[in-house]
Amino acid sequence: MSDTSQLAREIEELEIAAKTYDARHEFIDNFAYPEGMQIAVNFTADFDAMLFRRFLNETPMQLAQGEFGGRVGIWRLIELFNSHDVKATIFTPGRICELFPQALIAAHESGHEIADHMWEHHVPKDMQLEHDHIQKSTAALEKTVGKRPVGTRSRHTQSLMKQEGYIYNSHGSAAHLPHYLRDDDGENCLLNLPFHYAIDDAMFFSFAWLSSENAAQRVTDPDRVFDLWWAAFQQQYRQGGYLNICLHPFVSGRAMRIEMLDRLISRMKTLPGVWFPTCEEVARYCLDSFPAKGA
Amino acid sequence: MPWKEGYTISDEKSLTDNEVQWPDGKRMCMTVMLDLSLASGPQGLTSADLRNANATFGLNEGFDQVRALLKKIDIKATVTVPAAMANILPDSILALRDDGHEIAAQGLKHEDVSTLNREDEKGRLDMTTEILTKLLGHAPEGWFSLPRPGDPFAVGTVSPNTMDLLIDAGYRYMGNGLSDDIPHYWVTDFDSQRAMLTLPYFYHFDDQFFLMFPKKGTGLEHADTLFANWNAEFKAQYRRGRYFNMTLHPYAIAWCNRLKLLEDFLSRIRDFPGVWNPTAGQAAHYWLERYPAKSTLKLEPSVWKDYPGSLS
Repeated sequence: MSDTSQLAREIEELEIAAKTYDARHEFIDNFAYPEGMQIAVNFTADFDAMLFRRFLNETPMQLAQGEFGGRVGIWRLIELFNSHDVKATIFTPGRICELFPQALIAAHESGHEIADHMWEHHVPKDMQLEHDHIQKSTAALEKTVGKRPVGTRSRHTQSLMKQEGYIYNSHGSAAHLPHYLRDDDGENCLLNLPFHYAIDDAMFFSFAWLSSENAAQRVTDPDRVFDLWWAAFQQQYRQGGYLNICLHPFVSGRAMRIEMLDRLISRMKTLPGVWFPTCEEVARYCLDSFPAKGA
Repeated sequence: MPWKEGYTISDEKSLTDNEVQWPDGKRMCMTVMLDLSLASGPQGLTSADLRNANATFGLNEGFDQVRALLKKIDIKATVTVPAAMANILPDSILALRDDGHEIAAQGLKHEDVSTLNREDEKGRLDMTTEILTKLLGHAPEGWFSLPRPGDPFAVGTVSPNTMDLLIDAGYRYMGNGLSDDIPHYWVTDFDSQRAMLTLPYFYHFDDQFFLMFPKKGTGLEHADTLFANWNAEFKAQYRRGRYFNMTLHPYAIAWCNRLKLLEDFLSRIRDFPGVWNPTAGQAAHYWLERYPAKSTLKLEPSVWKDYPGSLS
């Protein structure tokens, strides 16, 4: 015979798990863009180059593949965004300041945002070391470009990020539109600018991404991704939504993909009311116009 | 950490499109690698790799078809040869040489050398050079370490000593690197700026990853995607005036409709004026003279700091 009281407890635990996690989120009612704007498109570049592959102890040739992002890819992305007057956000591990400072300075001088992407592209388990990493990354980015970052793309502890003055994260996809996310205690609210793996170049163009099996490889052609992302843009455009396009300089910096992105941006610009700001601009607009209620 | 060792192999920024020039006012450079290896994984060639229908096709009809197509469209290739294959098909290799293609080395058995000690790796490297020198009458100028379908990564494998050993052995270039899409220098010592010229390779233009990959019977067939990638990259690099490299395996690309796609692609690029199609060795000679490491490399000293709890 089954122990019904035990089963009832299990059911209750599931309900608590769902509700407490859900309660961390605060969605924005009646969200609207500034007058004349129909959609915000955030082009974001995760500029870890070879750093994450180094952290995973991958092979010299894998590191060389990542190095392409710093030597070539990031420069092409900056040039592409500048040619379209698109302001992008470069999520940068602090350590990259020691490897490719020239590119970061060039991006900053062109008006792009340099934001945090973890000191060495991972979050240490020990909280004291985690705080050390956040401070190191923040200081390195500020020293390199002369402006303290206010955004991150990471799973860092929110209280630590708040403490260091961060106002937004761009991680996870709990809703299409920007929304607020608190920690488990209902505190330390940050704005979240949703990012989804379906709009991430590495999911289409990068072999052995996060140790994926050879039978599950991602070596598709640019036209297929153009069609998928154009459809994503149109779907959000029609409903006044938001699109965050995640690129990796070592992936999207390849000539054939820059050409595809050039066509994609040109096509987006044929429609009225398409806004290409930095993530910081969107975040500040949301925080000013739709502040969190429960904060 | 001296320099940025363990992180980067070259300088901080590539040459811009405007800085890249090709001989005789040519607009771009295009190279073709013809890989004669049949190794299925990191262990390099095994008997099983050679005793199957695919291998037989690649060594006979497939080989002949690709050779004839290159001749017909007048495309020069660089043939990457594991020394073991030189003993298996010496006449075919010499026939390709006589067609004007370059013969380059690809290890003893096209095995993964990344965990070998320096002495063992040197022994294999010297033996490879010796076997190919005996066949060709001169030492090969280029060295390749292309990926195999069973490798965990699609980039090829080297050990921390490979580049140094290749320089010592007198090789002029390393055939497959991923840090750039033009020739670039793989630096082995910061102070002396000792470096190996490295030519660009990228797996999105390598047939083996699209044709019954990772293996026949259970792999996926994406010949159309391969064709689309070749076209897209060729056109984009043509506009920039840079470099396009494609890698072919006769056992794979010569089959049926795939061969037709290759013929269509190669015929189409013949319509683009100003494409320079040298062997890898010819491209290397040009680059070493026009863009020598001494005046091209701009190495920044390392500012890397070691901290407790951080990467070193």
